[in-house]
Amino acid sequence: MFDLSIYLKLGWRNLWLHPLRTGLTVAALALGIAALTFLSAMNDGWLQQIRTNFALTMTGHLQIHASGFQQTLKLARHIKDPAQVMQALDGLAGIHSVTSRLRVSGLASVAGANAGALVYGVEADKERHLSRLAGFVTQGRWLLDSDDRAVVLGDGLADRLQVALGDKVVLMAALDNGDIASEVFRVRGLLHSGVLDIDDLAAVVPLGRAQQWLDMGQGVTDIVVRADDFEQVTGLVDQLRQRLHAGDGSQSAAADSSGYEVMSWSEIDPMAEQWSAFADAYTWIVLAVVILVVLAEVLNTMLMSMHERSREFGLMGALGVRDSQMFFMVIWETVILVSVGSVLGFMTGGWAVWHFGKVGIDLSQFAVAFSFMYMSPVIHPLLAFDSLLGILGAAILGAVVAGLFPAWKAARLDPAAAMREV
Amino acid sequence: MALIEAVDIRKRYRSGEVEAQALNGVSLSVQAGAFTALAGPSGSGKTTLLNIIGTLDRPESGTLTVAGRDVLSLSAAERAAFRLSHIGFVFQAYNLIRVLTARENVAYVQQLQGVSAAERNAVADRLLAEVGLDGMGDRRPDQLSGGQQQRIAVARALATSPDIVLADEPTANLDSHTGESLMQLMQQLNETRGTTFLISSHDPLVLAHARQVVHLRDGLVQEDASA
Ligand SMILES: Nc1ncnc2c1ncn2[C@@H]1O[C@H](COP(=O)(O)OP(=O)(O)OP(=O)(O)O)[C@@H](O)[C@H]1O
Ligand SMILES: [Mg+2]
Repeated sequence: MFDLSIYLKLGWRNLWLHPLRTGLTVAALALGIAALTFLSAMNDGWLQQIRTNFALTMTGHLQIHASGFQQTLKLARHIKDPAQVMQALDGLAGIHSVTSRLRVSGLASVAGANAGALVYGVEADKERHLSRLAGFVTQGRWLLDSDDRAVVLGDGLADRLQVALGDKVVLMAALDNGDIASEVFRVRGLLHSGVLDIDDLAAVVPLGRAQQWLDMGQGVTDIVVRADDFEQVTGLVDQLRQRLHAGDGSQSAAADSSGYEVMSWSEIDPMAEQWSAFADAYTWIVLAVVILVVLAEVLNTMLMSMHERSREFGLMGALGVRDSQMFFMVIWETVILVSVGSVLGFMTGGWAVWHFGKVGIDLSQFAVAFSFMYMSPVIHPLLAFDSLLGILGAAILGAVVAGLFPAWKAARLDPAAAMREV
Repeated sequence: MALIEAVDIRKRYRSGEVEAQALNGVSLSVQAGAFTALAGPSGSGKTTLLNIIGTLDRPESGTLTVAGRDVLSLSAAERAAFRLSHIGFVFQAYNLIRVLTARENVAYVQQLQGVSAAERNAVADRLLAEVGLDGMGDRRPDQLSGGQQQRIAVARALATSPDIVLADEPTANLDSHTGESLMQLMQQLNETRGTTFLISSHDPLVLAHARQVVHLRDGLVQEDASA
């Protein structure tokens, strides 16, 4: 083989033989790549937001339940000895905060109105550090550790019950033994999270009062963990499963209830993951279309350029350039063309990502639809390394594919015939 | 044995319905060190014969030995390698790669052979001086006259020290003065280096310089005359 520098030299100089044509192709390429980079960063940005919002609104990064609880939501499947779980959490790195909850579905009623409710018994102060619930309070206040029969209601639920701050609400729930237990609470706060399931259903009360009311002793249903960041989650889940000999929450409801299940946020609600998969698929389709269009342009440019230079290719063949060398020469030229466009595209797209990553893109117009999906109205594009590699790989692969046909034509060119052409 | 030994070469071109018998059984023998002209009117088969000898084309029948090799039995890749090391080409026009400088054009064939940059550039500069283009190595073809471009082609044809240089109407696009000096250059290189030249032309100027003239007419050698 001979050294590659001649390919680079020839490829580069031939491209600039027609600055306008090459410039237009490069510009189209750059635009496509920039748009892709930005789109992909938007995507990564809002997926990150969805995950964060999802985890921090309520769910946490991972939860520990008595085995089978997530599937049955039966109080019978509760953690009898939370201290044992707390012990297992002791000394694990990467934990931001931990809190316990008692979760049960029941009924909220006032004189003249009833509504289904999801009752959460929470540790007022710890909850404030772990989730954003306290921050969503729009009227009144969040619970205090000293509260007893206080409730914070989702604003949708309060609407349905026609209650306001200071009003009394009776909460009812079925106990293990089938009895219905009820308790009176006074409305201390209303919250609006934007997530329908919370706003229309949540009734948040102090954990201690909930335990008494529901005859649970020290029992809780969820031990919720917020990790320092998402990267910690898998490791924490694995370690906890080991320490607690716990399952992953997928065991059947009939399974022995003495053990534990440890579930990550994505196992608790696959929605965010599904969204992410859907968004990925969507991005890749757009990516494929853009790449296809751009490559048609590259193919066209290359075929034009080759047509003009067919006598030169004939000359090279006559001088002793082998078919395979001719083939790679054209592939190289295509790769150079695409690389120039890609570099410019990445620079433009990268700048846009950096800029909008800082200031955010305000989509509050669509806020209602967004909050339902745990999305924030202001998106901060975020370029993931994987996505960048994906675009780069697609561009280079595309360049090679677009180069194949011209390269094949160049390789099978008959030098004698090409030289005769006038 | 002669450097080029062609026996009963036949070549037919077919384009659609029309058939053209380009070579009708040409036999030709060129000795090493010769300075031979291939003369004949337009359409007589000069380019066809040079292309076949230069392994750019293949005849329907006949035998052909070039530099001791039965070139008709070579594969496409072997022919490319054979051309690179044994044959130098000078065409009527479009001899040069237009994005390369004069030096790079001359050095190109040695680069294909894997010769180091320093060595091939030294060879190129020496050859450029030899063809009278000292100091013009950095010019691109479009900055050079037709005669200068043909001289660069001659320099390139010699860069790999081939056994034979095949020149197809090298003076056809030049005025007679420039053509004359190109012929003188090639003749001089033939004498100093001993490189064999086979030059096709119907230009009397070319024929005047040749030591041997082969006349082609309608795909047949007419006579084998010595001048
Ligand atoms: N690719 C081709 N297809 C069909 N016929 C061809 C082809 N190439 C050459 N011919 C025919 O073969 C014959 C010989 O052509 P050739 O080019 O060898 O002649 P020539 O002596 O070089 O002519 P000129 O002086 O015009 O260059 C001519 O009749 C020509 O028309
Ligand atoms: Mg001809």
